[in-house]
Amino acid sequence: MNFSFSEDQTLLRNSVRAALDEQCKPAHVRAMMEDDRGYSEALWAEMAKLGWLGLPFAEEQGGAGLGLVELALVLEEMGRAAYPGPYFASVVLAGLGLQAGGSAAQQEKWLPAIASGQARGTAALLEDSLDWDPAATTATATRTGAGFRLTGVKRFVPWAHVADVALVPARVPEGVSLFLVDPRAAGVTLTPMVGIDLATRWSEMSLDGAAAEMMGPAGGAGPVLEGLLRRAAVGASAEMLGAARRCLDMSVGYAKVREQFGQLIGSFQAIRHRCAEMLLEVEKAHAAVYYAAWALSAGAEDAAMAASVCKSFVSEAARQVCGDAIQVHGGIGFTWEYDLHLYFKRAKALEPLYGDAAYHRELLVRGVTASA
Amino acid sequence: MDLNYTAEDVAFRKQVRTWLEQNMPRQIKDLAERKVWHRKLYEAGYLGMGWPKEYGGQGARPMEQAIVADEMARAGAPAPTNGLGVGIVGPTIVVHGTDAQKRRYLRKILTAEDMWCQLYSEPNAGSDLAALRTAAEDRGDHFQVNGQKIWTSGGAIADWGLLLARTDPAAAKHKGISCFLINMRQPGVDVRPLKQITGSSEFCEVFMTNARVEKENLIGRLGEGWGIAQTTLGYERGGRALARITSYAVQYNHLMNAARRLKRNGRPILDDAVTRQKLGRIWADLEVERYGALRVLTMLERGEHPGAGGSLTKLSYSEFEKRFMELAEEILGPYGQLTDGVPAEYRLEVDTAVGDHGTWAYAFLWSRAGTIYAGSSEIQKNVIGERILGLPKESRADRVGGTR
Repeated sequence: MNFSFSEDQTLLRNSVRAALDEQCKPAHVRAMMEDDRGYSEALWAEMAKLGWLGLPFAEEQGGAGLGLVELALVLEEMGRAAYPGPYFASVVLAGLGLQAGGSAAQQEKWLPAIASGQARGTAALLEDSLDWDPAATTATATRTGAGFRLTGVKRFVPWAHVADVALVPARVPEGVSLFLVDPRAAGVTLTPMVGIDLATRWSEMSLDGAAAEMMGPAGGAGPVLEGLLRRAAVGASAEMLGAARRCLDMSVGYAKVREQFGQLIGSFQAIRHRCAEMLLEVEKAHAAVYYAAWALSAGAEDAAMAASVCKSFVSEAARQVCGDAIQVHGGIGFTWEYDLHLYFKRAKALEPLYGDAAYHRELLVRGVTASA
Repeated sequence: MDLNYTAEDVAFRKQVRTWLEQNMPRQIKDLAERKVWHRKLYEAGYLGMGWPKEYGGQGARPMEQAIVADEMARAGAPAPTNGLGVGIVGPTIVVHGTDAQKRRYLRKILTAEDMWCQLYSEPNAGSDLAALRTAAEDRGDHFQVNGQKIWTSGGAIADWGLLLARTDPAAAKHKGISCFLINMRQPGVDVRPLKQITGSSEFCEVFMTNARVEKENLIGRLGEGWGIAQTTLGYERGGRALARITSYAVQYNHLMNAARRLKRNGRPILDDAVTRQKLGRIWADLEVERYGALRVLTMLERGEHPGAGGSLTKLSYSEFEKRFMELAEEILGPYGQLTDGVPAEYRLEVDTAVGDHGTWAYAFLWSRAGTIYAGSSEIQKNVIGERILGLPKESRADRVGGTR
């Protein structure tokens, strides 16, 4: 039993933090909010060089062969920096999806390209109904010769506008299957969906007979999608954790310098107690994220439950902590100029994704009643 | 990071489980029976495990202690007795006591031949413990003690007490306090059970009138009592860290069974979407508590002390327990309030160290105590704010001058 980071994991965290502190300052985030593509190619190339883009892939696929704990460490730091770019979409959604369900040839084609930074990927997991249950998929695929043609509308597809490949679930007579689609191909229309977190980009992906290649067995998308959803839920939680920790740090820092009534506001119990509660939530979120990341990596018996514990807990903890941070700051925390909203909005953007708290709580109760 | 138990720990757990199956009493009727069970645990090496071997302990690792407590919780085993003696008084004597004190007291704490209580809180010194006024006056060959203590756990059955008293009224508040071992079985000590909102009396009031403490029963030096008390608060070795969660999980399963039977609007409560959300939230909270316990155990196994981090743990589980019990009451309705005549399906059969209060009603009422005793939630937040986050201290009138 050892619930602490190894030396290598600590080194990884430190190096990711140092790199992002240097190259992903708030000014960079703000610049990318205004940028057409929304992310920096230079930083992307740097991330490829540092090995982040292939972190969870096998070494023969150009990866570093590391696990979800290491991936969560990187994602936490990205949340802490409100990193603007397709890292999550590319490495977690497309990368882990291909890793779990792609054929040898599909993996060979895409994973080294993602790891080297030459290609970016994403996954189109939501439709109009916002139901994360793979069985709710309504998009359809029809066979045409060697390939398929997809029809349907996908929503909130992250970073689709810069992606080279998207994992798209669609229905065939056998059930729901996964497909690989080129978002730039004919029959695909992308429309920006602009949320409050301008450092995250979403598109509506309208498929009108778009060419697609099947990934995995016909009608067999369920297990791959469920596994991917769990990993994405934990990855998103890691990012929310990073955002929350940043908000806590900023709040504590502010409470140590801001004076009212002739005293530092941190000396007032109303502020101090709130900060203490924020720390407790952050520490609990930390435990939830890394327990789940370890459980999924190790194939632990309670891995699925741990993922749902994690996402349901962290979604609300991050909301609470980031919201409290604005309250601790008072008026300055409500200004565009002050950086707090970058992290507040990142956490908010991830809160409903890959299953919100209510979705995962229902899974938990099903799990508990099934095992009793 | 590896959250699997080691093969060694798995084997140890199995050994404890087997021993419990073979030795655990079904029910404990009175203190005498509980002492028998206590001694059996001690003789098996499952009590005072963290104490050094030279004083009758096992020098066991924190994980081994946690596993024993956890297996006991899983099996619904009765608690041993003399918890404050084993958990706080003994370790205090080990660290601060003289050789004579160690010889005289330590073994009898482990065997429960001497039962102990802790005489800290006073009517006007609760959260502000250092405001205590009980006085110990040097009378040449002994100390004479006068004053009142309250919230003394197990005071009525204690033979001895670990006492904080003021020996120098002129000294600054935290500096005039000393620590003593006091014989509870003497005419100058009057113990009155304090009836709580549970209707039971786990706590007492203790009145000391010209009570006697021998000179050799001073712990540490005069005026060092506050520092000693601070270290005793830090003896929490995570021993109950896992057991606490396992007890909650056992109770949670009882609650799920009740939610299957009970109905609302013509359907089992368990099928009600709102209730399911609440049950899911509590399960997640419970699991997060478990992960936190594993984190604490990791630190302890590495020989690190959580320090002020203990405040996060205590704040977290005590507040969780209130939320959990409130949900239990919500699901159980009036069944949750029964103290007697509880149908079998809605009983909560847990041993509470006082024997006969294994009801949801008792557990619910008791949950209100956890966020007050051993430092209220507000005090824990002050500690977290000041000592972990480094926030400025509030200006306090008592940080200057003496007490009179």
